[in-house]
Amino acid sequence: MRLPTILLAVTLVATAGLALAASPVRQAILDGYAKEAGVAAFSAERGKAFFEASHAGGKPETPSCTTCHGMDPRMPGRTRAGKAIEPMAVSANPKRFTDSAFVEKWFKRNCDSVLGRPCSAAEKGDLIAYLSSL
Amino acid sequence: MAGAPRAQGSAGEPVRVPVWDGFVRLFHWSLVATLATAAASGFFGDATWVEVHLWSGIAAAALVALRVLWGFLGPTHARFGDFLAGPKAMRAHLRGLLSGGGVRHRGHNPLGGAMVLALLLVVALLAATGTIALGGVLKSGPLAFATSFATGWELRGLHRLLAFLLLGLIALHLAGVLVESRRSRENLVLALVDGRKEARAGDHPPAPRRARPVVAALLGGGLLAVSAAAVWSFAARPGLGVPSAPLDPTYAEECSACHVAYHPSLLPRASWATLMAGLDDHFGENASLDPETAAAIAAYLQANAAEAYDTKAANRLRRVAAERPFSITATPFWRRTHAGLPEALFASRPVGGRGNCEACHGDARSGRFDPTAIHVPEETTP
Repeated sequence: MRLPTILLAVTLVATAGLALAASPVRQAILDGYAKEAGVAAFSAERGKAFFEASHAGGKPETPSCTTCHGMDPRMPGRTRAGKAIEPMAVSANPKRFTDSAFVEKWFKRNCDSVLGRPCSAAEKGDLIAYLSSL
Repeated sequence: MAGAPRAQGSAGEPVRVPVWDGFVRLFHWSLVATLATAAASGFFGDATWVEVHLWSGIAAAALVALRVLWGFLGPTHARFGDFLAGPKAMRAHLRGLLSGGGVRHRGHNPLGGAMVLALLLVVALLAATGTIALGGVLKSGPLAFATSFATGWELRGLHRLLAFLLLGLIALHLAGVLVESRRSRENLVLALVDGRKEARAGDHPPAPRRARPVVAALLGGGLLAVSAAAVWSFAARPGLGVPSAPLDPTYAEECSACHVAYHPSLLPRASWATLMAGLDDHFGENASLDPETAAAIAAYLQANAAEAYDTKAANRLRRVAAERPFSITATPFWRRTHAGLPEALFASRPVGGRGNCEACHGDARSGRFDPTAIHVPEETTP
């Protein structure tokens, strides 16, 4: 009776802790970008500015990340086709930045749509830092 | 009573005798109601009226079937034997009319009898052509499993012609009622309400027949039950050329991230090929995929494109707009069928764009697009 109770408590605490702390995969993704960019840390402020800025060079339909994701990353966004996008902020959507192939697929697509070029590792890192800080 | 007037005594007050039995009267006015509903929904209703049209048509067909039965088992004037006359008798009756004389029939006269037969026949043919059209075009009902879109569409044209023919017959029928009412100075419409007509000297002598209501009810009930069971079991069969498999999981996942997952049958092969070759500029966004995923999706689309199916959507959307070959909403068919819808509806929150089929079409993912699955959201504020 006691052992299962303890095990359950430990599991619950561990799960809650994992959800709150940076997921190991997300950290690995960030580390990868840091290594590629040659920086020690990313800036959430720079990420915020990048997220909210209107960029030139991309497709005219999508000048900014906020075109589809909205100004508040804790809220759902909306695609141009009218479909809801789950929130980008890790606090609102813990699944964010936990699948590196998924992250790279969407950076590849959306950086081209919004900026007309691939994003740099520094830009990607700053963005994830911002979206993890909310 | 053969030929003898049933006028009573010397008081001169004519006796009104039973002519139209309860079933005949109920049948007549129910047929008026069901055909009026079917005609109004068929000629003026949009896709959301299909169900009303269908059920009013089914009711009319059932009424006709029961009336045919009653034509053999009903009382005197309900029987076909009472009013179906040969061409000789019809010519004789017509000559009598034109010469200002002519015998009065308490039931249908030979011309009226021919009209009854024609009306019953045309309604039956409307039901038959409607069922084939329903099966072929909408892939619904008892013939969906065996009817191609092309056949259904042709029968739909015939159904339409028959509807105009029926309207013409109804106009003639009303004219006949008017002429006969004046000629015999009686209210024929009232007779179809209370069922009685005056018995007059010189009336065409009827051959009295007794009704067999119990036999008729048993046969009629059995006929309707067996028909309904047959229709139900045939309607349960999968429709000819209707997609039945769920969407490919990879396709559904990759291609519904930004928009609804459009069924592959909604565009022809050439359009899918062009679309897949230009994913880096997909409706103004980069939607590129890794080569393996793109190849798998392209193969799935080629195998399941519009050419592979026989639904109305697959048949109609095969014709794309030349300048926008993979915009479903730019096809002539899409534009025509959505032309009456207000701009505010597409801009409204629950719809959010012309490409969001699922907002109104509950079965969009299956590629069926049955009109009975259309539910336009109420809220139209942006």
